[in-house]
Amino acid sequence: MSGGLRDKLERLRAHAASVKQAEAAAREADTAARAEADGGVRAAGSADESRSIGADAAGSEVRNGMTPAGEEGTGRPASACGRGEDAFADLGAEEVRNDHGVFLLRTAVYPLEHRHGHYLLEQLPSYAAKLKPVAARQNKGRTDREEAEPDAIETERLLFLDTETTGLGVGAGNVPFMVGIGYADLKARQFVVEQLLIRHPGEERAMLAYLLTRFAGRTHLVTYNGRTFDWPVLVNRFVLNGWRRSGAEPGHLDFLHPSRALWRNTLPSCKLSRIEEDRLGISRAHDVPGALAPELYLRYLNEGDAEHLRGVFIHNERDVLTLVTLAIHFGGLLDGRLGAEWALPEEPEELYRTASWLDANGGPDHAERLFAALIARRETSAERWLLPTAGRYKRLGRLDEAAALWLRAAEAAERSVLPSFEAHVELAMLYEHRVKDAALALRYAERALELAHRKPLSARDPARGRAEREGLAHRIERLRRKTNAPLAR
Amino acid sequence: MRKKKSLLEMIDDLRTNENIVNWYEMPPQEAKTRPMPESVDPRIRQALHKRGISELYTHQETAFRTVTAKENIVAVTPTASGKTLCYNLPVLQAIARDDTSRALYLFPTKALAQDQKSELNEIIDELGIDIKSYTYDGDTSPAIRQIVRLAGHIVITNPDMLHSAILPHHTKWVSLFENLKFIVIDELHTYRGVFGSHVANVIRRLRRICKFYGSDPVFICTSATIANPKELAEQLTGSPMRLIDDNGAPRGRKHFVFYNPPIVNVPLNIRKSSTIEVNNLAKEFLKNKIQTIVFARSRVRVEIILSHIQELVKNEIGSKSIRGYRGGYLPKQRREIERGLREGEILGVVSTNALELGVDIGQLQVCVMTGYPGSIASTWQQAGRAGRRHGEALIIMVASSTPIDQYIVQNPEYFFDRTPEHARINPENLIILVDHMRCAAYELPFKTTEAFGPLDVTDILEYLQEERVLHRHGETFYWAAQSFPASEISLRSASQENVVIVDQSDVAAVKIIGEMDRFSAMTLLHDEAIYLHEGVQYQVEKLDWDHKKAYVREVDVEYYTDANLAVNLKVLEMDRTKDSRQAAIHFGDVSVNMIPTIFKKIKLTTFENIGSGPIHLPEEELHTSAAWLELKEVDPEIGTKSLEQLLLGIANVLQHIVPVLVMCDRGDVHVTPQIKAAQTGLPTIFIYDHYPGGIGLAEDVFKRFDEVRDAAIHLIRKCPCKDGCPSCIGMEIAGMNGKRKSIQLLNLL
Repeated sequence: MSGGLRDKLERLRAHAASVKQAEAAAREADTAARAEADGGVRAAGSADESRSIGADAAGSEVRNGMTPAGEEGTGRPASACGRGEDAFADLGAEEVRNDHGVFLLRTAVYPLEHRHGHYLLEQLPSYAAKLKPVAARQNKGRTDREEAEPDAIETERLLFLDTETTGLGVGAGNVPFMVGIGYADLKARQFVVEQLLIRHPGEERAMLAYLLTRFAGRTHLVTYNGRTFDWPVLVNRFVLNGWRRSGAEPGHLDFLHPSRALWRNTLPSCKLSRIEEDRLGISRAHDVPGALAPELYLRYLNEGDAEHLRGVFIHNERDVLTLVTLAIHFGGLLDGRLGAEWALPEEPEELYRTASWLDANGGPDHAERLFAALIARRETSAERWLLPTAGRYKRLGRLDEAAALWLRAAEAAERSVLPSFEAHVELAMLYEHRVKDAALALRYAERALELAHRKPLSARDPARGRAEREGLAHRIERLRRKTNAPLAR
Repeated sequence: MRKKKSLLEMIDDLRTNENIVNWYEMPPQEAKTRPMPESVDPRIRQALHKRGISELYTHQETAFRTVTAKENIVAVTPTASGKTLCYNLPVLQAIARDDTSRALYLFPTKALAQDQKSELNEIIDELGIDIKSYTYDGDTSPAIRQIVRLAGHIVITNPDMLHSAILPHHTKWVSLFENLKFIVIDELHTYRGVFGSHVANVIRRLRRICKFYGSDPVFICTSATIANPKELAEQLTGSPMRLIDDNGAPRGRKHFVFYNPPIVNVPLNIRKSSTIEVNNLAKEFLKNKIQTIVFARSRVRVEIILSHIQELVKNEIGSKSIRGYRGGYLPKQRREIERGLREGEILGVVSTNALELGVDIGQLQVCVMTGYPGSIASTWQQAGRAGRRHGEALIIMVASSTPIDQYIVQNPEYFFDRTPEHARINPENLIILVDHMRCAAYELPFKTTEAFGPLDVTDILEYLQEERVLHRHGETFYWAAQSFPASEISLRSASQENVVIVDQSDVAAVKIIGEMDRFSAMTLLHDEAIYLHEGVQYQVEKLDWDHKKAYVREVDVEYYTDANLAVNLKVLEMDRTKDSRQAAIHFGDVSVNMIPTIFKKIKLTTFENIGSGPIHLPEEELHTSAAWLELKEVDPEIGTKSLEQLLLGIANVLQHIVPVLVMCDRGDVHVTPQIKAAQTGLPTIFIYDHYPGGIGLAEDVFKRFDEVRDAAIHLIRKCPCKDGCPSCIGMEIAGMNGKRKSIQLLNLL
């Protein structure tokens, strides 16, 4: 192109020059840092070389040609990608051809005895069915599905899916350049991970066509944030490639939401890597962070060196396996494994949140045990959960159990610097209306008001605090009248 | 108690006012109608009948026929002529006939979109047809968004939303784009300058996407009166247009009066402040409960007038019934004011040109303009706010001392006989074009053979490939970057980031009260500036330039502030030259460096300067196109000092004349004189576009310079002052015959 255009644009943009310089400096620093990270990845890769890349601890067999039916045995045609080509073969990726063109497929087969983190893949079949209530909740009221939510979840009809994309967001320009899928083949006692890669945007149609064949017969996509990210991004691609309706819309089993329900406060973040390390026993010491995947792919596009993608393949493959681990974990929770062969969460908050999640997802009996375990805890950090647990008992009409917890919560409040007075209010109500002991109710109400005054009004919503105090004052007044009445008579 | 006067009585009183310099009466006009076309769906026919519409005005009928024949139209209609039916009728008809039909309505602002939705839904309710119309803007909740995308027959939005939310996510709008039959562009005339140039590119992107989904919508545009509606519509949409201007709407009698404040200093030709005159005029109308709109040219002026009027009438009517209206108010506040005006609770409103647009505020009786609004088109728009269909209406333009105001009140034929201005856009501005090509490539891959406007864009595609933004495979360029390009591009100003105005008067309840673009903030929100918002004074305690936040606190002071901007210019490239022995006019690229220097404190009551202070803000640099006038040989008798003053004087005249001639906002084009230009050392006056890369304004000045020069000479000559006044060359230049010499200099060019 003419240098004139570049010059002109640069001149017009000169006002942004200083910003650009700063960016350039930052980029350099970034590149340097990444070079180190890359070194790490390559080292990890080459160490794995003997049993081909990506094999997790126990090793899987990487094989080619999981081609669609009728297309077995397509030879390897010459590719334009020179040095990239060999490197891809080295990564275990092979060309797949169909009516829509060609793309790369890398297949890793794991025996069901394979362990990924705390669990063995073979545990999946026994727990998958337990996920039914989770799926039912996530797919409730969806009108875009072609099939109704099935009555049962079958292991082999689950498709585990994780994409790597060129950018953030779900706009039309964000391209999933790698789609990792996984599924169980119980007869062969295998779990298969297939990774579909496009070497350039022209291969997308072929990849999508293949993906459609893999969707066939599956009831659910198992993902981490797939409902709002991976799936919409894929739908974009189908639309852009002329599939106006992308065929049967699968149901979702998205573990982001359950993970948030459990770990929102007890983990620093609900990033998949964090959960893997802290809760699923999966270590990714030498992994390429997922956030670098777009950068690495764009580098591959520009330089043609497939080696840039080695780390991305490994990362994505492990992500797919982790989805299985998550499915086992949540299925296990719903099967009541916690407190049986699995240890209960250490933190009272996590115990409470897990119990509540079980309560809401059709596991009230297991929830019951967890709540019982929670109230048996005597550490201070458990006290905060007495009130909400009492609230549950109250809702279930188990007032005696609730009352016992309110008494404990009220005691705890008395010791607190910033006390809550809710337990006192509950007790006041209980004694007034149920036990019919107005005098005792009055004592609790009066004490509640004292506590309320100890607590400063919320800066954001002072009106609410004032209303609460007023409400208490009314209650006290009424109780005083009640308690005085017999004397007057 | 004093009896209230009627508007007619007040009009009679005014007739004897000695400051009225021109009285123009527009006779009432009868309606011109045609029968409702046979083809109109009976349900629509009936619904319209219920609203008292059983015939169509001529322009409405022509619009319906033309659009039905699948021709693009631009309908030119004055305020309140029933223009919405020009598009609503064909659109509703198409949906009534085929439920899958979709239409996209574009309004320049959210407020107008909201307005249109309410109006449209009223009709739809009466139709008894299940037609869903929704607004889609930043306020639309996520839950509704999904419904709009899938099921909205009519999607009402603005160009910004189209640019950043709809087009980049077009895959979620399949049912809209596959079935899009109409694109309605209302208030077409507002799409000019930088904004219009951006929007033209957004529409190119929109058409690409329609093509991808196999639809070929008809464009229906409506515009206020400008000189080139057809040309603008064609440039903006890239499609041939049919012009419809046979306006058949009736109109009541209108009195259009020019008011020139009396001279208070004869030798200097200094007149009484137009602001004070406006205050007094508005007071009289308001005291007589006559609903009045006052237009002022700047946000600051709006606030000053507002506080004065509120003070003047506070004993007779509550100050709550007099409100301000301008950009920077929050949407909720604006809606409340609009409703108040429609329902008559609000008696008076002081507004910037924000209310020039078709926001529905009902019919007002009187319109008072503080100074000439800057263009003929804009003046008619503002005038249209008074008296919509029936009854008398009064429009008063109070002239200020600026050259153009004085020129216009003294040459009313200039205003009443001249065609309104041209609206110009330059969609090929390189920066704008490249930015939108990035967005377009994000949305759909680019074929090498594909066109994007009239220019060959292969160069740009290759440039973007080299920048590693696009990846080429075969004959197609694909988006290949991590970013989301639309979020980096704002349609409204050169700079994306607005400054947020934070009120910290109440430490416990800090709140955001408005926002302002970056360039305006340099001179309006610097430390210690007095910022007026809804008539309340705030002082800027701290302008955090890095984080684009201005922290303000309510104050009560007797002054406002006015900032100076120092400007430095350098020629980068000279493209064209018209040369003569003594002078030359050039066109090319320049770099402009701007830095605000000091601000003055000006007393509210007397407008005297009562103090000043420095402004510490970083310099901003702008590369743009400019026309510049170079004097190669100047009468040596004119000393350097005098020459400098003469140049300033001429620049003053040009700054007023140029925006009028090329039709742009005052801020879009700047005029800066230099006694010794950086490279040549020659006395030079620069006229430049205030946007990186330029938008064609300076180029227009270069092409039409003879016209610009003649208008400038005419203005100076016709000014009644002795030898220079703020209405022409600025100030009298002691004993040097400044007016004659200025004309001499201009004649050199």
